[in-house]
Amino acid sequence: MALDRYEWLGRLAGGLTEDCLVMSTYIGAVSFEWAHHTDEHHRTAHLGQMGDVIGMALGLAIALPHRKVVCLDGDGSVLMELGQLVALGEHAPNNLVVFVADNGVYESIGWAEHGRRPTATSGQANLVAIAAGCGVPYTADVRTPEELESEIELAFGRNVCSFINVRTRPGNSRAQPRRTDGIEDKYRFVRYVEKLEDIWITGVPPQDIGLMTD
Amino acid sequence: MLPHAADEAIRGLEEAGINFVSGLPDGWQRNVHELVEQNDTFRYAPACNEGVAFSMCAGAWLGGMKSALIMENSGIRVAAEYIARISLGTGVPVTMICSYRGDVGETEHWGVPHGIVAEPLLQALRIKFVVVRRVEELAQAIKRAKLLSEAQLHPAAVLVSGDCVWDDGAQK
Repeated sequence: MALDRYEWLGRLAGGLTEDCLVMSTYIGAVSFEWAHHTDEHHRTAHLGQMGDVIGMALGLAIALPHRKVVCLDGDGSVLMELGQLVALGEHAPNNLVVFVADNGVYESIGWAEHGRRPTATSGQANLVAIAAGCGVPYTADVRTPEELESEIELAFGRNVCSFINVRTRPGNSRAQPRRTDGIEDKYRFVRYVEKLEDIWITGVPPQDIGLMTD
Repeated sequence: MLPHAADEAIRGLEEAGINFVSGLPDGWQRNVHELVEQNDTFRYAPACNEGVAFSMCAGAWLGGMKSALIMENSGIRVAAEYIARISLGTGVPVTMICSYRGDVGETEHWGVPHGIVAEPLLQALRIKFVVVRRVEELAQAIKRAKLLSEAQLHPAAVLVSGDCVWDDGAQK
């Protein structure tokens, strides 16, 4: 059994806590549908791309250990850089929960002559087993709406680094492509974090002014 | 690095305001990694490859930390994919401290290709860099690389070689 991506992303969006941050993919169906469900809320960094989403979420979670960080990724992206799961297991910040839309295909490239091109999770690769083997403290393979509801509730109710693989039916994005580029996405996320945390991310902060004149 | 050079690298990182360090230890900078790990100034989070390390540095910067990536110059090749995606695509700064294997004075055959590729690859990635071969220049170079990185919201690099890693200049 597999879940409809648009619907389960909507359930996850509805379960977000007010003060969490999200690291999402930058383009593609997950990003488009997530942006639609969250009305482009600036708590989401639509900055991750193939192979770097979990790595960036990991850095963000380490930087802000008091804040829940949710990561949204796809199976093709995770497979491109499995070293991210090694780092996830090694550092395992308690405040990070990774959700992966595992549909077993390279959805965003469109259809080939005989259908979608499969990813390795359509064959022998099992991301949950790999994550567990890398030492990620909590892993789950979600196949039903009931399991999803339980994992969403647990994700925000406990404090343990988690990797939640959601078996997802292939299907084109039901949301329109996003209009912003990475530069705009970065600035709006950075401004949101600066305000949320009362910190200075871009520019030369006062304590560094002296470095400019040495 | 030679011990006094490693100390200068740490001083440069501290005075630059770096507080997050990732990377992959290599033969020349393994002691720098050890010193970073033992220093409470830094949150040290190594990775199993330099691409993941770069992504982690980028994420930490988005969370308000000042990131440095410490690696061999061979790691520039590994990280290039994520430097292009993240920094050329969105403008995220990371200060890169790279062993300059294959520089003049190299004795290991396997280091030669690292030296051939490093500078053209940094140029292709639009990463300004400085080559530091004298210990007394190292801390300042790291501080300036960090300042440029933050000013341009793109990585800047320090390539370390020469007297920072060899104690006689000619590797007897």
